[in-house]
Amino acid sequence: MIELEGIKKVFRMGSQSLEALKGVSLKIERGEFISIMGPSGSGKSTLMNIIGCLDTPTEGEYVLDSDRVAGLSFDQLAAVRNRKIGFVFQNFNLLPYATAWENVELPLLFDGKNARKRKERVTELLKAIGLYDWREHRPSELSGGQQQRIALARALANDPPILLADEPTGNLDSRSGEEIMDILTELWKEGRTIVMVTHNDRISAHSQRIVRLFDGLVLP
Amino acid sequence: MIGIFFRNLVRDLIRQPLRTSLTLSGVVWGTFSVVLLIAFGDSVGKAQIKRFHGMGQGIVLMFPSRTTLPWQGFLKGKPVRVTPEMVEEIPDKVPGIEVISPEFVGSRLISYGRKEFRNTVRGVNPGFERMRNTIAEKGRFINPEDMAGRKRVCMIGDVLAADLFGSGEVIGQTIFIDSVPFTIVGVMLKKSQNSNYNGQRDERCAFIPWTTFSTLYGYKYVSNFIFRPLDLGRSKAVTEDIKKHLSKLLGFNPADPDAIFTWDTMDFEKQFTTFFLAFTVFLGVIGSFTLLVGGVGVASIMRVVVEERTREIGIKLAVGARRRTILWQFFSESLMIMLLGGLVGFGLSAGALQAVKAFPTGSFVEFIGMPVLNPLVIVSTVLILLVIGVVAGMLPARTAASTDPIAALRK
Ligand SMILES: Nc1ncnc2c1ncn2[C@@H]1O[C@H](COP(=O)(O)OP(=O)(O)OP(=O)(O)O)[C@@H](O)[C@H]1O
Ligand SMILES: [Mg+2]
Repeated sequence: MIELEGIKKVFRMGSQSLEALKGVSLKIERGEFISIMGPSGSGKSTLMNIIGCLDTPTEGEYVLDSDRVAGLSFDQLAAVRNRKIGFVFQNFNLLPYATAWENVELPLLFDGKNARKRKERVTELLKAIGLYDWREHRPSELSGGQQQRIALARALANDPPILLADEPTGNLDSRSGEEIMDILTELWKEGRTIVMVTHNDRISAHSQRIVRLFDGLVLP
Repeated sequence: MIGIFFRNLVRDLIRQPLRTSLTLSGVVWGTFSVVLLIAFGDSVGKAQIKRFHGMGQGIVLMFPSRTTLPWQGFLKGKPVRVTPEMVEEIPDKVPGIEVISPEFVGSRLISYGRKEFRNTVRGVNPGFERMRNTIAEKGRFINPEDMAGRKRVCMIGDVLAADLFGSGEVIGQTIFIDSVPFTIVGVMLKKSQNSNYNGQRDERCAFIPWTTFSTLYGYKYVSNFIFRPLDLGRSKAVTEDIKKHLSKLLGFNPADPDAIFTWDTMDFEKQFTTFFLAFTVFLGVIGSFTLLVGGVGVASIMRVVVEERTREIGIKLAVGARRRTILWQFFSESLMIMLLGGLVGFGLSAGALQAVKAFPTGSFVEFIGMPVLNPLVIVSTVLILLVIGVVAGMLPARTAASTDPIAALRK
């Protein structure tokens, strides 16, 4: 379960500072499928990064499965990102010089899984997203939809209970977008918690609940 | 895991071949310098010590002189006179002596046919050969029979032999020493020698039995004597015992520092060894600076690499890489460049040393010796490489590991 209480985030750039989140409180139950919507610059990505333990709030309390995230060390946070939370980005964030296979394998490597387990899991994932035949290709040789599917497979490598997707379809044509959404819906049905950012009403229609952000605050 | 690790490493290195090879060349050159300088220092030191051993190894030279303290009614300045018989009796009275020889030294006219040289003639006993490394290459050194029979035989230095006979037969020839005929029984094996006490270097000397020397020239007292202690570490104590024994025999103060002047080659050798060790270390330090420049090159290139790969680091951190995983990735990459450069540097220097060996330059070898890749050279170079490599690798790797994932992903 994800519990955010009074989360503030201030970015400082030299003498200027910008309050991207101004006190966000949010509770997400296990197994929920949530969309976060809001205008550009309203703090959606900032919130996602905090939920994903990529960033830390300036103020406020974040409790993830009864752990106070503020109390975790850098390497403990790395372990959370590795096993508990899968993250999908709008721009895929694949390693450009690594093959599809190697990109999917990355979280398994960081988790210290042995070669046999890695091979089994990567094969399973690539087959599930229908890109097993593309395993030796680099991201630049794949379409946007294919890249995002690779990124999804990578996010799922260690079978995390939570999946965060920041505009996963933002860079895709509608057909590829629908494919991604089908996979996400499937994953949710398997019991995963899914938090997704989107601008698109047709995309958000897949989710159970919509949270609207405006200027760093959650709209009631 | 290890396999993937190396595959990625190699891929990273060959992704920028020009940059990698430029960085490598700095390390290669540095290693090359370190190896050659240390090998050079080491071989010069060894060559010099070998030349020093040419005079003799583990020996003490004792020169009877004059008293400088009054003793039992005698004023100071009394000459200390030692006969060769006294010298040869010393081992019966003083324990701990392996071998001892009296020595007469004189400058004599040596001639063969129309060739004439005024060279040093040494009257000694057979023990001299071992102590002073005057080994016979052809024939033999003088032997006990020569001694007992006061025979007119001699062994001559290799240079003297060449001066007198050119490349002709030497053994069995008769030469004249101050118009007295002597039969040559041996020619000395050529040796490297950097110093001698009174007289010429051994390569120009004639060695004859001291018995013959004293009979022919009427000498009673030795110019000096030489001994080697059984235990080289006890040379000081044995020397003192000999002084005490002779002082009783001849009547001088055993504490008189100058009555018998002594030269312990082991003292000299210690200083010599220390000096050349310092010399080698000095050269090694100079070489290390070159390698340091290579290391700085690696560090600064790696800093650029880290900068360029910030995004990659961000992605890895986002999917669960720990700090030390990132640290190790960049650290090992720098270290790999260092070790690869080191390896090539070693190869090149081994080639260079091999090339030096191919030059048959006699006098060069005598002074410089033969620089080789011996364990000292290898171990010190590897240590220097490792130290510089670890520092050069650690700095950029720590920068990489402290990357903020969000800032990195926004690039
Ligand atoms: N690392 C950062 N440093 C400085 N300012 C930042 C940083 N991250 C976000 N911001 C600023 O915080 C505000 C919120 O940004 P955020 O990326 O969360 O918006 P968003 O809702 O995701 O917008 P978009 O729909 O365009 O993705 C923006 O004004 C942005 O410029
Ligand atoms: Mg955003």
